Amino acid sequence: MRVVIAEDAALLREGLTRLLEDRGHAVCATVTDGDGLLAAVAEHKPDVAVVDIRMPPTHTDEGLRAALALRKEFPGTGVLMFSQYIETSYTAQLLEGGAAGVGYLLKDRVANVAEFTAALERVATGGTALDPEVVSQLFRASRQRGGLTTLTPRERQVLALMAEGRSNSGIAAELVVSGGAIEKHVASIFARLDLPPAESDNRRVLAVLQYLRG
Amino acid sequence: MGEHIRRVTGTILRAPFTRRTVRELLYCGFGGVTGVAGFCITLVLLVFGLGVSVSVLGTVVGLLLLTVAMRVGRRLGSLHRRLAGWLLRYRVEAPPKFQPGTGILGRLDKRLRDRAAWRGISYSLLKLPVAAVQLYTVATVVIGLIDITYPVDWSLFRNHSGGTLNPLIAVTPLPFGGNLRIDTWPGTFLAALVGAASVIAASWLARAINAGDRRLVRGLLGPSTMAQRVSELERTRTLAVEDAAAALRRVERDLHDGAQMRLAALAMNLGMAREKLGEDGEQADNATVRELIDAAQRNAVDTLADLRDLARGIHPPALDNGLASALATLAASSAIPATVTADIGPRPAPAIETIAYFSAAELIANATKHSYANQIKINIFTERSGVLRLEVADDGIGGADAAHGSGLAGLAQRVSTVDGHLDVSSPPGGPTVVTVVLPLKA
Repeated sequence: MRVVIAEDAALLREGLTRLLEDRGHAVCATVTDGDGLLAAVAEHKPDVAVVDIRMPPTHTDEGLRAALALRKEFPGTGVLMFSQYIETSYTAQLLEGGAAGVGYLLKDRVANVAEFTAALERVATGGTALDPEVVSQLFRASRQRGGLTTLTPRERQVLALMAEGRSNSGIAAELVVSGGAIEKHVASIFARLDLPPAESDNRRVLAVLQYLRG
Repeated sequence: MGEHIRRVTGTILRAPFTRRTVRELLYCGFGGVTGVAGFCITLVLLVFGLGVSVSVLGTVVGLLLLTVAMRVGRRLGSLHRRLAGWLLRYRVEAPPKFQPGTGILGRLDKRLRDRAAWRGISYSLLKLPVAAVQLYTVATVVIGLIDITYPVDWSLFRNHSGGTLNPLIAVTPLPFGGNLRIDTWPGTFLAALVGAASVIAASWLARAINAGDRRLVRGLLGPSTMAQRVSELERTRTLAVEDAAAALRRVERDLHDGAQMRLAALAMNLGMAREKLGEDGEQADNATVRELIDAAQRNAVDTLADLRDLARGIHPPALDNGLASALATLAASSAIPATVTADIGPRPAPAIETIAYFSAAELIANATKHSYANQIKINIFTERSGVLRLEVADDGIGGADAAHGSGLAGLAQRVSTVDGHLDVSSPPGGPTVVTVVLPLKA
């Protein structure tokens, strides 16, 4: 995997670089602001960019704006937003153009190296990686509108993991049940939500998000 | 001594030729006319308004007249205030804008309670004697100027021989003693002298009467002390609120860029170390694991330091033992040797102590950054008048300016939120003494 990192805190930038290189990925460039990110992506055409949201000069949302520009100009490059906050409005903007090749994770997630790199790989290959926090925010919003009531707690658990971008086998591993059991749950969720059954992880996420945003 | 007298005499004699005198006289002219006119209009409106409104039938008309008087009072006030600003360069802040009420009774009520209008009316009434003197001054100058031209008049128009000459009458500005009759050419020089004296005297009279008028303008046409206090409080409240919001933003930013970031890095170090340990039975990469754990430990220690600084920035624990010991702690950590002398009577309110402490901290930091001083002296004491006075003095290069240094300006703002104030004495070459005066209660 070829990666570009945009992160203004040197400590995290170097840590991420080391973590990814340790796992055999190539970090083509590390930059510290949005303009640098666009230039580096144009130059290196990486598989995925890891983007901090708050960067100089204003330390507000330049990372998000750079990410949106990336999505438009380089649709082949996955974008993983990497932040200390989850903002629902950021999620909405990021997912507006579809969930393919998009990720939004709290920086906390880097503590689990295996899961973090798996999420990054998913985004690099056109999949989705949403932080459980993002998903639970969407769930809360959806519950306020009165949705999701027809699902059992187990089904809601499975739906949340689907929304994060996990595959059936990933969900099975997470919940420590058999793949067959998950398949049954998924089929039941799709039936209850009137969603067409679909194979690709990404289309599953899209379908779920579509439903959650109602 | 002789030098002194010559200078004073020179000043007196030159007065008529200064631009200021011209402005003062113009003010006498315009202000005198508007003053008399304003008095008449106000008086008529008030007398009729009050007179008619006592009679049962005329109440409505009377009240209408009164509201007109109130409007006119405000307008006249603003006219005279502008006149003083324009001609005397004496600028007085406008009173607060009129806030109209709703409904007929509401409007009437607001109008009749309009303090600025009543004050404008008072000014218009009190102005009459002032205006009389002002007009008299202008008249004196005009007459004086005519008198001065007599020698020229005489030689141009009166030097024909034979026949009877009408004597020239030189009017003196004095209301007594009669006027001068002049029927010889040398006599006209006396008239010119009287004229010159009148002009000089009038120039000074104009200044004197206008000085009185200024007091009236400031007292009656500016915002009342109450209104001034309100606008001052509004201003400092805005400052306080903005300051609090900015402080919270700073804390959030410090957390985000400091402790949160370091903890994320720490989590990452530990995650990587965990990976390097390998699964059960695998050979662990001990050297790398140790290195990663070292980094994690460093991050943990740095996070603690970050959080400690942040906490101290919010509330210095040393303050719990009183301002004197907190300032001693502060002085001990100063890069430039600093000494503290403290004589604090009853303990000030916690908010005041906090402001005093952070003022001292900022002033010490300023001195360290800009003054090239060798020594800082911090002096804090309670004055008998019930205020807390903090002085931070250094023997550095001076040149500190509250208007330009944003740090000092920010400090002055923060101090003003509790009705305190900050004075800077910092001539080029030093020394710098910054004095912060605070009330004992916030």
